[in-house]
Amino acid sequence: MGENLKWLWAAFGVAWALHVGYVALLSARTKRLSRELDNVSAQVKDLGSGASADV
Amino acid sequence: MRDAVPAPLAAVSATALLASMYLIFAWVPTEASMGIVQRIFYIHVSSAAVAFGGFFLGGFAAIGYLLNRAGERDDLSVACNEVGLLFACVNLVTGCLWAKPVWGVYWAWDARLTAMLLLALIYAAYLILRESIDEPSQRAVVCAVVSVFGMVDVPIVYMANRWWRTQHPAPVLGGGGSLDPRMTFVLFFTMFALALLYWCLVRQRRRMEALRKRTDALRREVQALA
Repeated sequence: MGENLKWLWAAFGVAWALHVGYVALLSARTKRLSRELDNVSAQVKDLGSGASADV
Repeated sequence: MRDAVPAPLAAVSATALLASMYLIFAWVPTEASMGIVQRIFYIHVSSAAVAFGGFFLGGFAAIGYLLNRAGERDDLSVACNEVGLLFACVNLVTGCLWAKPVWGVYWAWDARLTAMLLLALIYAAYLILRESIDEPSQRAVVCAVVSVFGMVDVPIVYMANRWWRTQHPAPVLGGGGSLDPRMTFVLFFTMFALALLYWCLVRQRRRMEALRKRTDALRREVQALA
């Protein structure tokens, strides 16, 4: 019983660790992309206003 | 931008997961021959079922993309496939940890296990391919074809232990095996809970893909303006 319990906890522990790890990874990737999107949007704005000033 | 996972969906999903853990650890009877370690069955089989369903969703979304080239179908396809791969990995790892105390080995190169490993590798290759093609429409078409190819492999994995001699047990559902009604209930409940979790993750991943496409499009605009 005790020996088998070790495998049961290991299986559920690894299963949940994989899920939690994926959620953390997904959240980090989404945050990084949001920051990048803000930066690139600001660049487009700057370049757009620069181009209209030239005209 | 709206939240990718609405609060009620997240709450129902979390409650269902907690309830399924209670059912697995405290409610369902212990199987007579394998003992307590048999409880791995609930997460092992449910993860496979959710992964298979996810790969089918991803495959159908890919077919939708190939038919009408709508970018949202490509976003849905990659989200379904990536999260499906997560569940396939959970299935493989829990299978290894169940096999060790029952078979005495972590892994056997038999038809079912090898077919499942190959399926996971197809989707790992899909994700690598996705990162390696820069041109968005070419990337979406190539990945859609691989996604359909992966989807076709799913029934082969499911049928592997009927078509070939294998150490893996026969399917408990639709395979002629008998299961205590309480065990069947817990199995289906765990599948339901994991399917909800799957859908939450897919929604979040789809939002991430949409963000990535917007960022890439703006980056191209910057290059054109500069």
